[in-house]
Amino acid sequence: MTTNFKIYNAADLWQIETSSPAIPTFSQKLDKTLGDDGIPLGSLTEVLGLPGTGKTQLCLQLCASVQVPKVLGGLQSESLYIDTNTNFTLCRFKEILFASLAKCQRLLDTSIAISEEDALKKFHYIKTIGLEKFCSFLNQLPNYLTEYPNVKLIVIDSIAFPFKEGSISLKQRTGLLFRLMADLHKLAVDKQIAVVLTNEMSNRLGLSSGALVGALGDAWAHRCNIRLLLCADKNESCAVLAKSNTAPEAAVKFKITREGIRDAD
Amino acid sequence: MLKLKLEDLLTDNELKSLNQNRITTLLDFLQEDTEKLSILTQLTLPQILEIRNNIFKKYSAEPINGTDLYITSITKRKSIQTGIKELDSILDRGIPSGIIEICGLAGSGKSQLCMQIAINCVKDSDNTILYIDTKGDFSALRIQKILDLNGYSHKDMAIIMLKIKIVRVWTIEDLIELIQKIKSGLIVVENLALVIIDSLPCLVFQHFGDDNKMDGESTSVNKGSNYIEKANRCLGKYWENIPAILLILKRSLESIDDNSLSIRISATNCNNPHVVKTCMLKVSALGVR
Repeated sequence: MTTNFKIYNAADLWQIETSSPAIPTFSQKLDKTLGDDGIPLGSLTEVLGLPGTGKTQLCLQLCASVQVPKVLGGLQSESLYIDTNTNFTLCRFKEILFASLAKCQRLLDTSIAISEEDALKKFHYIKTIGLEKFCSFLNQLPNYLTEYPNVKLIVIDSIAFPFKEGSISLKQRTGLLFRLMADLHKLAVDKQIAVVLTNEMSNRLGLSSGALVGALGDAWAHRCNIRLLLCADKNESCAVLAKSNTAPEAAVKFKITREGIRDAD
Repeated sequence: MLKLKLEDLLTDNELKSLNQNRITTLLDFLQEDTEKLSILTQLTLPQILEIRNNIFKKYSAEPINGTDLYITSITKRKSIQTGIKELDSILDRGIPSGIIEICGLAGSGKSQLCMQIAINCVKDSDNTILYIDTKGDFSALRIQKILDLNGYSHKDMAIIMLKIKIVRVWTIEDLIELIQKIKSGLIVVENLALVIIDSLPCLVFQHFGDDNKMDGESTSVNKGSNYIEKANRCLGKYWENIPAILLILKRSLESIDDNSLSIRISATNCNNPHVVKTCMLKVSALGVR
Protein backbone atom coordinates (compact mmCIF):
# COMPACT_ATOMS: atom_id res chain seq x y z
CA MET A 1 0.00 0.00 0.00
CA THR A 2 1.40 3.37 -0.88
CA THR A 3 0.31 6.56 0.73
CA ASN A 4 0.02 9.83 -1.06
CA PHE A 5 1.74 12.38 1.06
CA LYS A 6 0.24 15.80 0.84
CA ILE A 7 2.91 18.38 1.42
CA TYR A 8 1.47 21.67 2.60
CA ASN A 9 3.29 24.90 3.05
CA ALA A 10 2.71 27.07 6.07
CA ALA A 11 0.62 29.56 4.11
CA ASP A 12 -1.87 26.86 3.05
CA LEU A 13 -2.20 25.68 6.61
CA TRP A 14 -2.64 29.20 7.86
CA GLN A 15 -5.59 29.57 5.55
CA ILE A 16 -7.13 26.33 6.76
CA GLU A 17 -6.53 27.24 10.39
CA THR A 18 -8.06 30.67 10.11
CA SER A 19 -10.94 29.83 7.79
CA SER A 20 -13.14 28.05 10.29
CA PRO A 21 -14.41 29.45 13.57
CA ALA A 22 -13.50 27.91 16.89
CA ILE A 23 -16.00 26.65 19.46
CA PRO A 24 -16.72 29.34 22.05
CA THR A 25 -16.88 28.45 25.72
CA PHE A 26 -19.32 31.33 26.45
CA SER A 27 -16.69 32.89 28.68
CA GLN A 28 -14.86 35.50 26.65
CA LYS A 29 -11.85 35.56 28.94
CA LEU A 30 -11.49 31.80 28.71
CA ASP A 31 -11.80 31.98 24.92
CA LYS A 32 -9.04 34.59 24.79
CA THR A 33 -6.76 32.44 26.93
CA LEU A 34 -7.29 29.41 24.73
CA GLY A 35 -6.38 31.27 21.59
CA ASP A 36 -8.53 33.75 19.82
CA ASP A 37 -11.99 32.43 20.10
CA GLY A 38 -12.15 29.16 21.94
CA ILE A 39 -11.44 25.51 21.22
CA PRO A 40 -9.85 25.23 17.75
CA LEU A 41 -11.00 22.65 15.22
CA GLY A 42 -8.62 19.93 14.10
CA SER A 43 -6.75 19.53 17.33
CA LEU A 44 -6.89 17.51 20.54
CA THR A 45 -7.73 19.43 23.69
CA GLU A 46 -7.37 17.82 27.10
CA VAL A 47 -9.35 19.12 30.07
CA LEU A 48 -7.81 18.11 33.39
CA GLY A 49 -9.03 18.54 36.92
CA LEU A 50 -10.02 17.01 40.22
CA PRO A 51 -13.56 15.75 40.66
CA GLY A 52 -16.09 18.57 40.82
CA THR A 53 -13.98 21.20 39.08
CA GLY A 54 -16.30 21.47 36.11
CA LYS A 55 -14.77 19.25 33.44
CA THR A 56 -18.09 17.74 32.46
CA GLN A 57 -19.83 21.13 32.73
CA LEU A 58 -17.35 22.63 30.30
CA CYS A 59 -17.90 19.74 27.89
CA LEU A 60 -21.67 20.13 28.05
CA GLN A 61 -21.29 23.84 27.40
CA LEU A 62 -19.15 23.11 24.34
CA CYS A 63 -21.74 20.65 23.04
CA ALA A 64 -24.26 23.47 23.27
CA SER A 65 -21.89 26.12 21.86
CA VAL A 66 -21.30 24.13 18.70
CA GLN A 67 -24.95 24.81 17.78
CA VAL A 68 -24.54 28.60 17.73
CA PRO A 69 -26.01 29.78 14.42
CA LYS A 70 -23.79 30.89 11.55
CA VAL A 71 -25.09 34.46 11.63
CA LEU A 72 -23.48 34.83 15.02
CA GLY A 73 -20.19 33.42 13.77
CA GLY A 74 -20.89 29.98 15.18
CA LEU A 75 -20.56 26.59 13.58
CA GLN A 76 -24.23 25.64 13.52
CA SER A 77 -23.37 21.99 13.63
CA GLU A 78 -23.67 18.89 15.75
CA SER A 79 -21.77 17.25 18.59
CA LEU A 80 -20.94 13.73 19.64
CA TYR A 81 -20.60 12.90 23.32
CA ILE A 82 -18.78 9.69 24.19
CA ASP A 83 -19.60 8.93 27.80
CA THR A 84 -17.27 6.41 29.44
CA ASN A 85 -17.99 7.02 33.11
CA THR A 86 -21.74 7.79 33.12
CA ASN A 87 -21.16 11.37 34.20
CA PHE A 88 -23.72 12.68 31.77
CA THR A 89 -27.12 13.86 32.88
CA LEU A 90 -29.64 14.89 30.28
CA CYS A 91 -31.53 17.43 32.35
CA ARG A 92 -28.35 19.37 33.10
CA PHE A 93 -27.46 19.38 29.43
CA LYS A 94 -30.94 20.59 28.50
CA GLU A 95 -30.56 23.42 30.99
CA ILE A 96 -27.28 24.56 29.46
CA LEU A 97 -28.37 24.01 25.88
CA PHE A 98 -31.60 25.99 26.13
CA ALA A 99 -29.96 28.77 28.13
CA SER A 100 -27.28 29.08 25.45
CA LEU A 101 -29.79 29.09 22.63
CA ALA A 102 -31.91 31.65 24.43
CA LYS A 103 -28.85 33.85 24.73
CA CYS A 104 -28.27 33.55 20.97
CA GLN A 105 -31.88 34.51 20.31
CA ARG A 106 -31.56 37.57 22.50
CA LEU A 107 -28.44 38.59 20.59
CA LEU A 108 -30.17 38.05 17.28
CA ASP A 109 -33.10 40.00 18.57
CA THR A 110 -35.54 37.82 16.70
CA SER A 111 -38.18 35.52 17.79
CA ILE A 112 -37.32 32.69 15.46
CA ALA A 113 -38.16 29.85 17.69
CA ILE A 114 -35.41 27.25 17.76
CA SER A 115 -37.35 24.15 18.54
CA GLU A 116 -36.14 22.20 21.51
CA GLU A 117 -36.58 18.95 19.70
CA ASP A 118 -34.44 20.09 16.76
CA ALA A 119 -31.72 21.28 19.11
CA LEU A 120 -31.63 17.96 20.91
CA LYS A 121 -31.43 16.14 17.58
CA LYS A 122 -28.10 17.84 16.99
CA PHE A 123 -26.65 16.13 20.02
CA HIS A 124 -25.46 12.56 19.73
CA TYR A 125 -24.77 10.50 22.79
CA ILE A 126 -22.89 7.24 23.09
CA LYS A 127 -22.36 5.37 26.32
CA THR A 128 -19.38 3.03 26.22
CA ILE A 129 -18.76 1.01 29.33
CA GLY A 130 -15.54 -0.94 29.35
CA LEU A 131 -12.43 -0.86 27.25
CA GLU A 132 -13.69 -3.21 24.54
CA LYS A 133 -16.79 -1.18 23.80
CA PHE A 134 -14.79 2.03 23.84
CA CYS A 135 -12.18 0.76 21.40
CA SER A 136 -14.70 -0.82 19.07
CA PHE A 137 -16.67 2.38 18.92
CA LEU A 138 -13.59 4.44 18.12
CA ASN A 139 -12.84 2.00 15.31
CA GLN A 140 -16.38 2.51 14.04
CA LEU A 141 -16.03 6.26 14.24
CA PRO A 142 -15.11 6.93 10.58
CA ASN A 143 -18.33 5.19 9.46
CA TYR A 144 -20.32 7.01 12.07
CA LEU A 145 -19.00 10.36 10.89
CA THR A 146 -19.89 9.59 7.28
CA GLU A 147 -23.40 9.01 8.49
CA TYR A 148 -23.43 12.25 10.47
CA PRO A 149 -21.15 14.57 8.48
CA ASN A 150 -22.21 17.62 10.41
CA VAL A 151 -20.52 16.59 13.66
CA LYS A 152 -17.88 19.20 14.49
CA LEU A 153 -17.16 18.33 18.09
CA ILE A 154 -16.28 15.01 19.70
CA VAL A 155 -16.16 14.87 23.48
CA ILE A 156 -14.69 11.89 25.31
CA ASP A 157 -15.56 12.08 29.00
CA SER A 158 -13.26 10.67 30.28
CA ILE A 159 -10.32 9.23 28.38
CA ALA A 160 -8.76 7.65 31.48
CA PHE A 161 -11.83 5.78 32.71
CA PRO A 162 -11.85 2.85 30.26
CA PHE A 163 -8.26 2.09 31.21
CA LYS A 164 -8.98 1.94 34.91
CA GLU A 165 -10.02 -1.68 35.01
CA GLY A 166 -6.35 -2.52 34.65
CA SER A 167 -6.89 -5.38 32.24
CA ILE A 168 -3.86 -4.41 30.16
CA SER A 169 -0.30 -3.61 31.14
CA LEU A 170 1.14 -0.11 31.25
CA LYS A 171 3.12 -0.73 28.11
CA GLN A 172 0.10 -2.00 26.18
CA ARG A 173 -1.93 0.91 27.50
CA THR A 174 0.44 3.53 26.10
CA GLY A 175 0.63 1.71 22.79
CA LEU A 176 -3.14 1.38 22.51
CA LEU A 177 -3.73 5.00 23.52
CA PHE A 178 -1.29 6.34 20.97
CA ARG A 179 -2.76 4.18 18.20
CA LEU A 180 -6.31 5.27 19.04
CA MET A 181 -5.28 8.91 19.23
CA ALA A 182 -3.38 8.78 15.93
CA ASP A 183 -6.54 7.53 14.19
CA LEU A 184 -8.75 10.02 16.00
CA HIS A 185 -6.43 12.92 15.31
CA LYS A 186 -6.20 12.02 11.64
CA LEU A 187 -9.99 12.07 11.41
CA ALA A 188 -10.11 15.35 13.31
CA VAL A 189 -7.64 16.99 10.95
CA ASP A 190 -9.17 15.60 7.77
CA LYS A 191 -12.71 16.59 8.66
CA GLN A 192 -11.86 19.64 10.78
CA ILE A 193 -13.45 18.40 13.97
CA ALA A 194 -12.55 19.55 17.46
CA VAL A 195 -11.79 16.76 19.92
CA VAL A 196 -12.09 17.41 23.65
CA LEU A 197 -10.93 14.79 26.14
CA THR A 198 -11.33 14.95 29.88
CA ASN A 199 -8.76 13.39 32.14
CA GLU A 200 -8.60 12.78 35.86
CA MET A 201 -5.74 13.63 38.17
CA SER A 202 -3.59 11.11 39.92
CA ASN A 203 -0.64 11.20 42.27
CA ARG A 204 2.86 10.84 40.94
CA LEU A 205 4.53 7.80 42.41
CA GLY A 206 7.68 9.09 43.96
CA LEU A 207 9.96 9.01 46.92
CA SER A 208 9.36 12.46 48.23
CA SER A 209 6.56 14.09 46.36
CA GLY A 210 3.03 13.02 45.84
CA ALA A 211 2.46 15.78 43.35
CA LEU A 212 -0.86 15.87 41.56
CA VAL A 213 -0.49 15.20 37.87
CA GLY A 214 -2.79 14.21 35.03
CA ALA A 215 -3.58 10.50 34.86
CA LEU A 216 -2.18 8.24 32.13
CA GLY A 217 1.44 9.24 32.64
CA ASP A 218 3.96 11.66 31.26
CA ALA A 219 4.15 10.12 27.82
CA TRP A 220 0.47 10.91 27.42
CA ALA A 221 1.11 14.51 28.42
CA HIS A 222 2.88 15.01 25.09
CA ARG A 223 -0.01 13.78 23.02
CA CYS A 224 -2.61 16.54 23.28
CA ASN A 225 -2.07 19.89 21.62
CA ILE A 226 -3.79 21.88 24.34
CA ARG A 227 -4.05 21.02 28.04
CA LEU A 228 -6.40 22.97 30.23
CA LEU A 229 -6.25 22.46 33.99
CA LEU A 230 -9.37 23.31 35.98
CA CYS A 231 -9.58 24.05 39.66
CA ALA A 232 -12.50 25.18 41.79
CA ASP A 233 -12.79 27.32 44.85
CA LYS A 234 -16.21 27.88 46.41
CA ASN A 235 -18.12 29.93 43.84
CA GLU A 236 -15.36 30.57 41.39
CA SER A 237 -13.52 28.30 39.03
CA CYS A 238 -10.13 28.82 37.55
CA ALA A 239 -8.63 27.46 34.36
CA VAL A 240 -4.89 27.22 33.75
CA LEU A 241 -3.62 26.71 30.23
CA ALA A 242 -0.81 24.24 30.89
CA LYS A 243 0.21 23.54 27.33
CA SER A 244 -0.66 25.02 23.99
CA ASN A 245 0.91 25.26 20.57
CA THR A 246 -0.46 28.73 19.90
CA ALA A 247 -1.21 30.67 23.06
CA PRO A 248 1.05 31.54 26.00
CA GLU A 249 0.38 29.91 29.33
CA ALA A 250 -2.05 31.81 31.47
CA ALA A 251 -4.64 31.46 34.17
CA VAL A 252 -8.18 32.77 34.00
CA LYS A 253 -11.23 32.81 36.24
CA PHE A 254 -14.68 31.77 35.14
CA LYS A 255 -17.98 30.89 36.68
CA ILE A 256 -20.20 27.87 36.41
CA THR A 257 -23.75 29.13 36.59
CA ARG A 258 -27.07 27.44 36.13
CA GLU A 259 -26.95 28.52 32.48
CA GLY A 260 -23.49 27.08 31.87
CA ILE A 261 -20.00 28.56 31.68
CA ARG A 262 -19.81 32.34 31.98
CA ASP A 263 -17.25 35.05 32.70
CA ALA A 264 -16.49 35.65 36.34
CA ASP A 265 -17.61 39.08 37.50
CA MET B 1 19.22 -8.74 -5.01
CA LEU B 2 20.83 -7.27 -8.11
CA LYS B 3 19.74 -8.93 -11.34
CA LEU B 4 22.12 -9.79 -14.13
CA LYS B 5 21.79 -7.20 -16.87
CA LEU B 6 22.96 -6.56 -20.42
CA GLU B 7 25.44 -3.99 -19.16
CA ASP B 8 27.34 -6.75 -17.45
CA LEU B 9 28.84 -7.62 -20.88
CA LEU B 10 26.35 -10.38 -21.60
CA THR B 11 24.27 -10.69 -24.71
CA ASP B 12 20.55 -11.42 -24.81
CA ASN B 13 21.03 -15.05 -25.72
CA GLU B 14 23.58 -15.62 -23.04
CA LEU B 15 21.33 -14.02 -20.44
CA LYS B 16 18.44 -16.17 -21.56
CA SER B 17 20.33 -19.42 -21.25
CA LEU B 18 21.63 -18.36 -17.84
CA ASN B 19 18.15 -17.48 -16.67
CA GLN B 20 16.84 -20.83 -17.87
CA ASN B 21 19.38 -22.43 -15.58
CA ARG B 22 18.22 -20.29 -12.66
CA ILE B 23 21.20 -17.97 -12.73
CA THR B 24 19.38 -14.68 -12.46
CA THR B 25 21.23 -12.52 -9.97
CA LEU B 26 24.78 -11.25 -9.82
CA LEU B 27 25.34 -13.39 -6.76
CA ASP B 28 24.20 -16.55 -8.59
CA PHE B 29 26.62 -15.73 -11.38
CA LEU B 30 29.59 -15.15 -9.12
CA GLN B 31 28.95 -18.26 -7.05
CA GLU B 32 28.52 -20.57 -10.04
CA ASP B 33 31.37 -22.73 -11.23
CA THR B 34 33.16 -20.94 -14.11
CA GLU B 35 33.38 -24.02 -16.26
CA LYS B 36 29.66 -24.60 -16.04
CA LEU B 37 29.09 -20.96 -16.98
CA SER B 38 31.40 -21.36 -19.92
CA ILE B 39 29.37 -24.33 -21.16
CA LEU B 40 26.05 -22.61 -20.64
CA THR B 41 26.97 -19.37 -22.36
CA GLN B 42 29.41 -20.85 -24.87
CA LEU B 43 31.97 -18.26 -23.89
CA THR B 44 35.62 -19.07 -23.23
CA LEU B 45 36.98 -19.25 -19.72
CA PRO B 46 39.01 -16.01 -20.00
CA GLN B 47 35.88 -14.22 -21.18
CA ILE B 48 33.94 -15.45 -18.18
CA LEU B 49 36.75 -14.37 -15.89
CA GLU B 50 36.80 -10.95 -17.52
CA ILE B 51 33.07 -10.57 -16.93
CA ARG B 52 33.54 -11.55 -13.30
CA ASN B 53 36.33 -9.05 -12.83
CA ASN B 54 34.22 -6.41 -14.46
CA ILE B 55 31.37 -7.06 -12.08
CA PHE B 56 33.70 -6.81 -9.10
CA LYS B 57 35.08 -3.56 -10.38
CA LYS B 58 31.70 -2.07 -11.09
CA TYR B 59 29.99 -2.94 -7.84
CA SER B 60 32.70 -2.79 -5.21
CA ALA B 61 32.81 0.11 -2.78
CA GLU B 62 35.31 2.74 -3.79
CA PRO B 63 38.25 3.68 -1.63
CA ILE B 64 38.60 7.42 -1.04
CA ASN B 65 41.92 8.93 -0.13
CA GLY B 66 42.38 11.20 2.85
CA THR B 67 42.89 14.42 0.91
CA ASP B 68 39.65 14.02 -0.99
CA LEU B 69 37.81 13.33 2.22
CA TYR B 70 39.29 16.44 3.74
CA ILE B 71 38.35 18.57 0.75
CA THR B 72 34.76 17.38 0.73
CA SER B 73 34.52 17.92 4.43
CA ILE B 74 35.59 21.55 4.18
CA THR B 75 33.63 22.43 1.06
CA LYS B 76 30.37 20.74 2.01
CA ARG B 77 27.74 22.66 3.90
CA LYS B 78 28.51 21.92 7.49
CA SER B 79 25.86 23.41 9.63
CA ILE B 80 22.64 25.38 9.64
CA GLN B 81 22.41 28.29 11.96
CA THR B 82 19.44 28.27 14.26
CA GLY B 83 19.40 32.06 14.30
CA ILE B 84 19.20 32.04 18.09
CA LYS B 85 22.52 33.46 19.25
CA GLU B 86 22.93 31.58 22.51
CA LEU B 87 21.86 28.30 20.98
CA ASP B 88 24.22 28.68 18.03
CA SER B 89 27.11 29.32 20.38
CA ILE B 90 26.54 26.18 22.46
CA LEU B 91 25.99 24.18 19.27
CA ASP B 92 29.30 25.41 17.87
CA ARG B 93 27.88 27.51 15.04
CA GLY B 94 24.63 25.68 14.36
CA ILE B 95 22.95 22.38 13.65
CA PRO B 96 25.48 20.02 12.03
CA SER B 97 24.40 17.75 9.20
CA GLY B 98 23.19 14.61 10.91
CA ILE B 99 20.63 14.00 13.58
CA ILE B 100 20.13 16.09 16.64
CA GLU B 101 17.62 15.31 19.32
CA ILE B 102 15.49 17.77 21.26
CA CYS B 103 14.24 16.19 24.42
CA GLY B 104 12.07 17.47 27.24
CA LEU B 105 8.88 17.03 29.21
CA ALA B 106 5.47 18.06 27.86
CA GLY B 107 5.14 21.81 27.62
CA SER B 108 8.87 22.48 27.88
CA GLY B 109 8.96 24.27 24.57
CA LYS B 110 10.15 21.61 22.12
CA SER B 111 7.61 22.39 19.41
CA GLN B 112 8.06 26.12 19.98
CA LEU B 113 11.81 25.76 19.48
CA CYS B 114 11.24 23.67 16.35
CA MET B 115 8.91 26.26 14.84
CA GLN B 116 11.35 29.04 15.65
CA ILE B 117 14.22 27.14 14.04
CA ALA B 118 12.00 26.59 11.00
CA ILE B 119 11.41 30.33 10.67
CA ASN B 120 15.03 31.32 11.25
CA CYS B 121 16.33 28.73 8.86
CA VAL B 122 14.32 29.96 5.87
CA LYS B 123 14.02 33.68 6.48
CA ASP B 124 17.25 34.98 4.93
CA SER B 125 18.03 32.23 2.47
CA ASP B 126 16.69 29.95 -0.25
CA ASN B 127 16.43 27.05 2.17
CA THR B 128 13.23 25.15 2.55
CA ILE B 129 12.52 23.03 5.54
CA LEU B 130 10.25 20.02 5.89
CA TYR B 131 8.29 19.77 9.12
CA ILE B 132 7.01 16.23 9.66
CA ASP B 133 4.13 16.60 12.07
CA THR B 134 2.95 13.45 13.84
CA LYS B 135 0.62 14.94 16.46
CA GLY B 136 -0.71 18.14 15.01
CA ASP B 137 1.51 20.44 17.02
CA PHE B 138 2.55 22.57 14.08
CA SER B 139 0.58 25.79 14.09
CA ALA B 140 0.76 28.07 11.08
CA LEU B 141 -1.18 30.61 13.08
CA ARG B 142 1.58 30.71 15.67
CA ILE B 143 4.21 31.15 12.93
CA GLN B 144 2.22 33.99 11.43
CA LYS B 145 1.81 35.67 14.82
CA ILE B 146 5.54 35.48 15.56
CA LEU B 147 6.35 37.00 12.18
CA ASP B 148 3.71 39.66 12.59
CA LEU B 149 4.97 40.75 16.02
CA ASN B 150 8.50 40.89 14.68
CA GLY B 151 7.37 43.48 12.16
CA TYR B 152 7.40 41.55 8.91
CA SER B 153 5.25 42.83 6.07
CA HIS B 154 2.51 40.62 4.66
CA LYS B 155 4.59 39.95 1.59
CA ASP B 156 7.64 38.87 3.57
CA MET B 157 5.49 36.69 5.78
CA ALA B 158 4.07 34.93 2.74
CA ILE B 159 7.55 34.37 1.29
CA ILE B 160 8.77 32.85 4.55
CA MET B 161 5.68 30.73 5.05
CA LEU B 162 5.85 29.33 1.54
CA LYS B 163 9.29 27.94 2.31
CA ILE B 164 8.13 26.01 5.35
CA LYS B 165 6.67 22.72 4.14
CA ILE B 166 4.57 20.56 6.39
CA VAL B 167 3.60 16.95 5.98
CA ARG B 168 1.40 15.05 8.39
CA VAL B 169 2.31 11.48 9.18
CA TRP B 170 0.32 9.19 11.48
CA THR B 171 2.18 5.89 11.55
CA ILE B 172 5.81 4.78 11.59
CA GLU B 173 5.29 2.89 8.32
CA ASP B 174 4.23 6.11 6.64
CA LEU B 175 7.26 7.91 8.04
CA ILE B 176 9.62 5.30 6.63
CA GLU B 177 7.86 5.38 3.28
CA LEU B 178 8.03 9.17 3.20
CA ILE B 179 11.74 9.23 3.94
CA GLN B 180 12.43 6.57 1.33
CA LYS B 181 10.46 8.52 -1.25
CA ILE B 182 12.44 11.66 -0.50
CA LYS B 183 15.68 9.73 -0.72
CA SER B 184 14.80 8.12 -4.03
CA GLY B 185 13.55 11.38 -5.50
CA LEU B 186 9.89 10.38 -5.84
CA ILE B 187 9.03 13.32 -3.63
CA VAL B 188 11.08 16.40 -4.37
CA VAL B 189 11.43 19.26 -1.94
CA GLU B 190 13.66 21.89 -3.46
CA ASN B 191 16.53 23.32 -1.45
CA LEU B 192 15.70 21.09 1.45
CA ALA B 193 18.03 22.08 4.27
CA LEU B 194 16.46 20.66 7.39
CA VAL B 195 13.92 18.01 8.32
CA ILE B 196 12.12 18.36 11.62
CA ILE B 197 10.26 15.35 13.01
CA ASP B 198 7.87 16.40 15.77
CA SER B 199 7.71 13.87 17.36
CA LEU B 200 9.20 10.43 16.90
CA PRO B 201 8.09 8.73 20.16
CA CYS B 202 4.50 9.50 19.28
CA LEU B 203 4.83 7.04 16.39
CA VAL B 204 7.08 4.57 18.13
CA PHE B 205 4.78 4.26 21.18
CA GLN B 206 2.05 2.98 18.90
CA HIS B 207 4.06 -0.19 18.47
CA PHE B 208 6.18 -0.62 21.51
CA GLY B 209 4.26 1.17 24.22
CA ASP B 210 6.20 2.77 26.99
CA ASP B 211 6.91 2.14 30.64
CA ASN B 212 6.16 5.75 31.42
CA LYS B 213 9.65 7.16 31.42
CA MET B 214 10.82 10.79 29.98
CA ASP B 215 10.56 10.84 26.22
CA GLY B 216 12.85 12.48 23.71
CA GLU B 217 11.78 14.75 20.54
CA SER B 218 13.94 14.44 17.43
CA THR B 219 15.58 18.08 14.41
CA SER B 220 15.75 15.61 12.67
CA VAL B 221 14.25 16.03 16.07
CA ASN B 222 13.23 13.77 18.65
CA LYS B 223 10.88 13.40 22.61
CA GLY B 224 11.67 12.90 26.57
CA SER B 225 8.63 11.10 30.13
CA ASN B 226 9.21 11.25 33.78
CA TYR B 227 9.34 8.60 36.45
CA ILE B 228 10.15 8.86 40.12
CA GLU B 229 11.47 12.37 39.64
CA LYS B 230 14.14 11.10 37.33
CA ALA B 231 13.59 11.91 33.70
CA ASN B 232 14.65 9.30 31.17
CA ARG B 233 14.96 9.72 27.46
CA CYS B 234 12.52 7.73 25.40
CA LEU B 235 13.16 5.33 22.56
CA GLY B 236 15.49 3.02 24.41
CA LYS B 237 19.17 2.17 24.56
CA TYR B 238 19.83 1.76 20.85
CA TRP B 239 18.57 5.24 20.08
CA GLU B 240 20.79 6.82 22.76
CA ASN B 241 23.83 6.92 20.52
CA ILE B 242 22.17 7.82 17.24
CA PRO B 243 21.80 11.61 17.54
CA ALA B 244 25.05 13.53 17.20
CA ILE B 245 23.86 16.17 19.61
CA LEU B 246 21.32 15.94 22.37
CA LEU B 247 19.49 19.05 23.55
CA ILE B 248 17.61 18.72 26.82
CA LEU B 249 14.97 21.36 27.47
CA LYS B 250 13.89 22.13 30.98
CA ARG B 251 11.49 24.78 32.17
CA SER B 252 13.10 27.07 34.59
CA LEU B 253 11.09 28.59 37.40
CA GLU B 254 13.29 31.65 37.83
CA SER B 255 12.53 35.02 36.32
CA ILE B 256 9.11 34.32 34.92
CA ASP B 257 7.42 37.54 34.04
CA ASP B 258 3.86 37.67 32.91
CA ASN B 259 4.09 36.75 29.29
CA SER B 260 7.18 34.69 28.85
CA LEU B 261 8.66 31.46 29.94
CA SER B 262 12.33 30.73 30.35
CA ILE B 263 13.80 27.41 29.44
CA ARG B 264 17.23 26.02 30.14
CA ILE B 265 18.82 24.13 27.30
CA SER B 266 21.75 21.81 27.84
CA ALA B 267 23.60 20.45 24.85
CA THR B 268 25.60 17.24 24.95
CA ASN B 269 27.73 16.13 22.05
CA CYS B 270 27.49 12.35 21.88
CA ASN B 271 31.12 12.04 20.78
CA ASN B 272 32.20 13.80 23.91
CA PRO B 273 29.55 13.25 26.57
CA HIS B 274 31.53 14.88 29.36
CA VAL B 275 31.20 18.39 28.01
CA VAL B 276 27.75 19.81 28.65
CA LYS B 277 27.06 23.38 27.60
CA THR B 278 23.97 25.20 28.76
CA CYS B 279 22.12 28.36 27.89
CA MET B 280 18.86 30.05 28.75
CA LEU B 281 16.20 30.97 26.20
CA LYS B 282 13.00 32.90 26.51
CA VAL B 283 9.70 31.80 24.95
CA SER B 284 7.25 34.62 24.47
CA ALA B 285 4.72 35.96 22.01
CA LEU B 286 7.70 37.11 19.93
CA GLY B 287 8.96 33.56 19.58
CA VAL B 288 11.97 31.86 21.09
CA ARG B 289 15.08 33.94 21.61
